[in-house]
Amino acid sequence: MRQKKRQINFKVLLYPALLLVLIGAAAVAVSVGAVPFTLREIGAILLSPLGLPCGEIDPVKKDILLQLRLPRVILAGAVGAALATSGAAFQGLFRNPMADSYVIGVSSGAALGAVAAMLAGLPPAWGGMGMVPLFAFAGGAATLILVYRMARVGGEVPVMPLLLAGIAVSAFLSALVSLLTYFSDEKLHQVVFWIMGGLSGATWAKVKMMVPYTLLGFAAVYFYSRELNALLFGEETAHHLGIDIEKVKKILLLGSSLLVAAAVSTSGVIGFVGLVVPHFIRLLIGPDHRHLLPASALLGAALLTVTDTLGRTVIAPRELPVGIITAILGAPLFLYLLRKRKKLRYFNLSE
Amino acid sequence: MSIELTVHDLTLQYESDPILDRLSFEIPPGRRVALLGANGAGKTTLLRCISKALQPSAGAILIDDRDIESLSPRALARTMAVVPQETRADFDFTVEETVTMGRLPYRKRFAAGEAGERAATRRAMAATGVSGLAKRSIATLSGGEKQRVIIARALCQEPQILLLDEPTANLDLGYQHNLLELITRLNREEGITIIAAIHDLNLAARFFDHLLLLSGGRILAAGTAEEVIAPGPIKSAYGVDAFIFRHPLTGSLQVSVRNEKDGRPGAARPPIHVIGGGEEALPLLEQLQRGGFPLSIGPVTAEDSSHRFALFYDLPVIKVDPFSPVSDEVHRAHLALIEKAALVVVPPIPYGVGNLRNLEAVEKALEEGRPVAIFSHPPGAAWDFTGGEAGRILKQLKNKGASVLKERDEIMALLEKEPIQDEEEG
Repeated sequence: MRQKKRQINFKVLLYPALLLVLIGAAAVAVSVGAVPFTLREIGAILLSPLGLPCGEIDPVKKDILLQLRLPRVILAGAVGAALATSGAAFQGLFRNPMADSYVIGVSSGAALGAVAAMLAGLPPAWGGMGMVPLFAFAGGAATLILVYRMARVGGEVPVMPLLLAGIAVSAFLSALVSLLTYFSDEKLHQVVFWIMGGLSGATWAKVKMMVPYTLLGFAAVYFYSRELNALLFGEETAHHLGIDIEKVKKILLLGSSLLVAAAVSTSGVIGFVGLVVPHFIRLLIGPDHRHLLPASALLGAALLTVTDTLGRTVIAPRELPVGIITAILGAPLFLYLLRKRKKLRYFNLSE
Repeated sequence: MSIELTVHDLTLQYESDPILDRLSFEIPPGRRVALLGANGAGKTTLLRCISKALQPSAGAILIDDRDIESLSPRALARTMAVVPQETRADFDFTVEETVTMGRLPYRKRFAAGEAGERAATRRAMAATGVSGLAKRSIATLSGGEKQRVIIARALCQEPQILLLDEPTANLDLGYQHNLLELITRLNREEGITIIAAIHDLNLAARFFDHLLLLSGGRILAAGTAEEVIAPGPIKSAYGVDAFIFRHPLTGSLQVSVRNEKDGRPGAARPPIHVIGGGEEALPLLEQLQRGGFPLSIGPVTAEDSSHRFALFYDLPVIKVDPFSPVSDEVHRAHLALIEKAALVVVPPIPYGVGNLRNLEAVEKALEEGRPVAIFSHPPGAAWDFTGGEAGRILKQLKNKGASVLKERDEIMALLEKEPIQDEEEG
């Protein structure tokens, strides 16, 4: 009884709490760095376009805040949200707590596309689109289609072959990425740093490109959250509840891959966010995807904002790739969750 | 409102042997149909074809003359709901959330909430008696409660056909009856057609009005319990000899399966004569029959359970008219039967003036040197309706050297300890 009561309270308080955490993380992220800001300064700079009397504003500081810090924080939030949401969706879709974008190969495909673009020495932008993100997205999408086709049996795509095909393709593509890296010569630093995952060089242009994909992917997944709930009971049950399984699977796979490609193309390979965040939210509020997806997005955004801030401050002036930090923090956290695995039973795994 | 289901020439074939072999049948609206058959007969496969979870190789399934192939999953889910054999649900959805999922086929994607959703959920939970569990997590429910919740979710779909796959397979006795009474009520009150694969023939005979016996993917028998539950079809479907009788309380047909003798093959067992009459003789007869002893049974009425036993196993038996004392003719026949036995067993049966004379026959056997084993009556049981005469004779028999046994198992020990000579052979 006590536990039930606690859960209801969690659901009511969760969104305000997560929003507060996210706003707090963003505020800290914007204010710390080589040029620190006080909250007062941040407020003044942000509110100045409204014509309010805010006192003196240093134009250099204004540029640093608006052109460097702010896009970086927004980008970090968007990437975190995309990774966490896609993780939650993949886990629900495959009814497998280990599933995420790596397992079905989308991340590796996107990484291969991005590395190939860097090594080919393509012009950095073409028609307003960054070539690296474009190739990353193409690589991710192509991998998804390949894996999906390989797993197809008759007219259906059962989950188990899909996972197995994904793991195999993922390993193969990762090897190709390593191979390309090995021969990358003078571009080695750029490639390796991108692979390790980082958000340096964030611009409004990147934000404009990344955020719409994230919103689109999130919308696709979120509008099928009831179907994801039904899918937890198994595909046959979902079919009996009137769900067009193959169609819904395609939409969910496409939506989550869109999220992954958007994230990977922006910031390289960042692990553990997609794995840990959804599990943590499930512990708090249970498996209902109608809440799991938005709550994971908020927490993922906050988490990546914090880790990115750590990345650019702990060994300043040098930057630590954020992927290293999420792995260092995420792996032990995941092991801790694993120890409590009784509570991780949301996937009909027999114990 | 109600709907007719037609299965036409349905075939499902993966490699060589067809799993379903040109099945054709019709189910008129509002029936309660039990699908019977041995494991692998095609019951579950048939259900999965009807629910469109499997694509048949040939043939068609029609709902009111519409091929289900032409129906969208959504439209089909509004007509037909499925309760799988077992639902594994280890996650924390509440009962209410789970039942509400039954409204998915009615939901519009961008609508905030379908108008009738809450009402339908409440109705379905009330009908299945799970309203009290609404806020509980389904992971915490017992198997029987969970099965009810899944039925509630199915009802929430407002189906006209309800398919159930072995709905009672994982339930205890109480829940089994509870559940079948529930689906019978849904059928009577809401007119929902019920189609259930079911293993238990006795439950099928009692709760369903139409039975369909499958074997090797074909229909072996179809119709009422009286038409389907018969030794012939059951022998072909399950490969066992069945004994069919009416339940003493409900009058519905019951099936019992003939025991295989577990005696050593080839070893000749001495014949044993058992004085029948009354339920007390049955377990003993069963035990001796399984032990491979040739049995004969003493004077009993045609309604007596020992008589049914004798008929089923084709044993020599002496029949008497109900409520009449043993005639001279019967008495002689009884003595003749005892002559052939190496041992006479007297179960703890009740005695009245009608069967008192049987003890006379036992006494004669004893005097002729034939071994006799008498089971003492359990303390407190009323068995002597002869004013003490039966008790006196039994005591006398014991004094004359009859073995006295208390527990049923002692008869086997007795037979092991002093091998009783088979008169005819030695």
